[in-house]
Amino acid sequence: MSRLAVQKTLKMYVGGKFIRSESGRTVAAKAADGSTMNVCFASRKDLRDSIGNNRSSQPKWAAMTAYNRGQILYRLAEILEARADTLPAKKADVHAAIDRAVHHAGWSDKVTAVLSTLNPVAATYVNYSLVRPVGVVLAVPHPDDGLLGMVEALCAAVLMGNSTTVLVPPASAEVATHLMEALATSDFPGGVVNILTGDIPGVLATANVHDDLDTLFVTEGVLEPEVLKTAQIEAAAVMRRIVIAGRAAEPATPAHLMRLAELQTVWMSAWEPQGGAAAY
Amino acid sequence: MNKTAPKKPELQLQGALDLSPSPESCPVTFRERYGHFIDGKRVAGKDADDFDTLNPATGQPIARVAAADATEVDKAVKAARKAYDKVWSKMSPADRGKYIYRIARRLQERSRELAVAETIDNGKPIRETRDVDVPLAAQHFFYYAGWADKLQYAAPGRDVRPLGVAAQVIPWNFPLLMAAWKIAPALAAGNTVVIKPAETTPITVTMLTEIFEEIDLPPGVVNVVNGAGATGAALVTHPDVDKVAFTGSTGVGRIIMRAIAGTKKKATMELGGKGANIVFADAALDQAVEGVINGIFFNQGHVCCAGSRLLVEESIAADFLDRLRRRVSTLRIGNPLDKNTDIGAINSAEQLATVERYIAIGQREGAELWQGAACARPDAGYFVMPTILTGVQQSDTVVREEIFGPVLSVLTFRTPDEAVKKANDTEYGLAAGVWTEKTSKLFDVAHRLNAGVVWANGYNLFDPASPFGGIRHSGFGREGGPAGLMPYLEVR
Repeated sequence: MSRLAVQKTLKMYVGGKFIRSESGRTVAAKAADGSTMNVCFASRKDLRDSIGNNRSSQPKWAAMTAYNRGQILYRLAEILEARADTLPAKKADVHAAIDRAVHHAGWSDKVTAVLSTLNPVAATYVNYSLVRPVGVVLAVPHPDDGLLGMVEALCAAVLMGNSTTVLVPPASAEVATHLMEALATSDFPGGVVNILTGDIPGVLATANVHDDLDTLFVTEGVLEPEVLKTAQIEAAAVMRRIVIAGRAAEPATPAHLMRLAELQTVWMSAWEPQGGAAAY
Repeated sequence: MNKTAPKKPELQLQGALDLSPSPESCPVTFRERYGHFIDGKRVAGKDADDFDTLNPATGQPIARVAAADATEVDKAVKAARKAYDKVWSKMSPADRGKYIYRIARRLQERSRELAVAETIDNGKPIRETRDVDVPLAAQHFFYYAGWADKLQYAAPGRDVRPLGVAAQVIPWNFPLLMAAWKIAPALAAGNTVVIKPAETTPITVTMLTEIFEEIDLPPGVVNVVNGAGATGAALVTHPDVDKVAFTGSTGVGRIIMRAIAGTKKKATMELGGKGANIVFADAALDQAVEGVINGIFFNQGHVCCAGSRLLVEESIAADFLDRLRRRVSTLRIGNPLDKNTDIGAINSAEQLATVERYIAIGQREGAELWQGAACARPDAGYFVMPTILTGVQQSDTVVREEIFGPVLSVLTFRTPDEAVKKANDTEYGLAAGVWTEKTSKLFDVAHRLNAGVVWANGYNLFDPASPFGGIRHSGFGREGGPAGLMPYLEVR
């Protein structure tokens, strides 16, 4: 006699908790084995909650040592490795995603050294430019990049000290759920990475008018040109950064990661304090 | 015990420090009319919509200026495209660098003439154009000239390419210097340029085109179109432009970003600011006074990164304000060509009205007004006395909005945390200053300020090796340093 399986509704992940949509809405999507799964469907309020949660979590994440953040990213790879056989995706794809997490984990305590500069100014100041997080990032990986796309996007965002909401369509929910469960057990403080499943253009319409979202980080080809154009027009209100990333086959390089950061230049007085450029 | 403190002797400096006038002689011959510079040729431009550029210190016209329409902008972009395809991208990087070095040298050689012309067209004191604007502009070309054959080191491990044609729109507050900030990195990275100076300050950029002629810069590598908003709109929306670089107000920055949405154009936005200058009780107070003055009265406060909010520790606020007012009372306002002048003219009647409107709003919202200088405000031209507004709060208009004039709003704080919180409580994030002699506090506070540039015991310092630019509503992209190349390169 065949056993009656337990069905679960695939939830979303916000603030370190697995949540249903506040709207209670779910949609049906096809699982890898051909069965039908029910997936929570992000509402406008779910996005606002997630962004707010990202905002309050970001300073603490950025204040952790780069060494510690790197260990947590490496821990994500360890957890994914342990679950590799259970993931509903091709082995090679899963392994690529795990290796990507390891790759970016290694950048955590090095990328600022590559991107920062000591600037030889013609004044008695020690002048340096250092890399700071841009803040809260909404990441939209390409669904065709599967787990690798999600891992690439979230690693790029958080290794620069940002917090992020990763937005995926319901069809990606099965893989995303495995990622959420790995995130939940990999020592990330709650709210550093949130994952929402929903209608991408629909959720973006809300993100576009959210004044406290710093960066929209989208993979090329994931948005229709008109949707991207609308996002760019709306971004102008708050000078929101829009970063278009390449597909996930190649990891983001430091020059690309810099787009998820801000350069801060400090003129540190090295001799006696001076009035400024034009002595009065 | 006497309960009332003895009255401090007050300096009465108005009229007490009369100096003989010491105007810089004028080695500049202005043309009657300025057109455009397209494909290496001086183009007269159409008479329609032409306009006057004025000397803001007198209000008198200097010359007529043509306004480029869409057809002329198109010619300039086509010239830049042709020069990019046929000449500039084919040239060896070392030779590109050598052209840029030539520009730097000629700028130095013509520095006095450029300083005088800038002062007459812009209204800023000759002391600043002579010591800051022109030397820094030359230094900028020198700096980026050296990058031209070293681009592969700007993004180690990656292949970098120029973008193509850069459209650049610059403001009136540092006309020549902003042109240098825009043109030098664009050319060094291998791009060609179409640049539009501000409509109130077209003259020094036109003189720069004379330098391009003198140094035999290939035609079309840099093109200049004069005009106002319509010309700028035609330029940034031109379909054959690959890169848009803008310095100006956040409002116009938004218009440009909306206009280029949906295109592949890369953008750099260097926008407004409301810089906080934080003075702790343990600062070197007299130097901090100089820094606060330099922060807000340099260039009449027409500085996007101006330290327009003074945050002073409450325990020394009264004493510090006394010192500040006393020092401001020695500043000389007047003829910008006079070498003794500290405070020159406001750039235009429109900007004068804006500054005066903000001062009125500040008073209406409860601010206490103090204005002073060592001499009276000139009768002719556009001038605003150095202004200090006290008794203001975080929510006041003069604390939140960029005034772009010689108006300082003063707030107090009690703890470093409160200072940081107030400093960061703004939509902007361009620049900030912090003053203390305690090194640990200097580092701690400097690194907690949300601004693209932080001056620790200094203010309004600029250097081509030092990346400059904002966060949040102050825009994005950097100018200066290796970071200043990146907006003009594609990283593969």
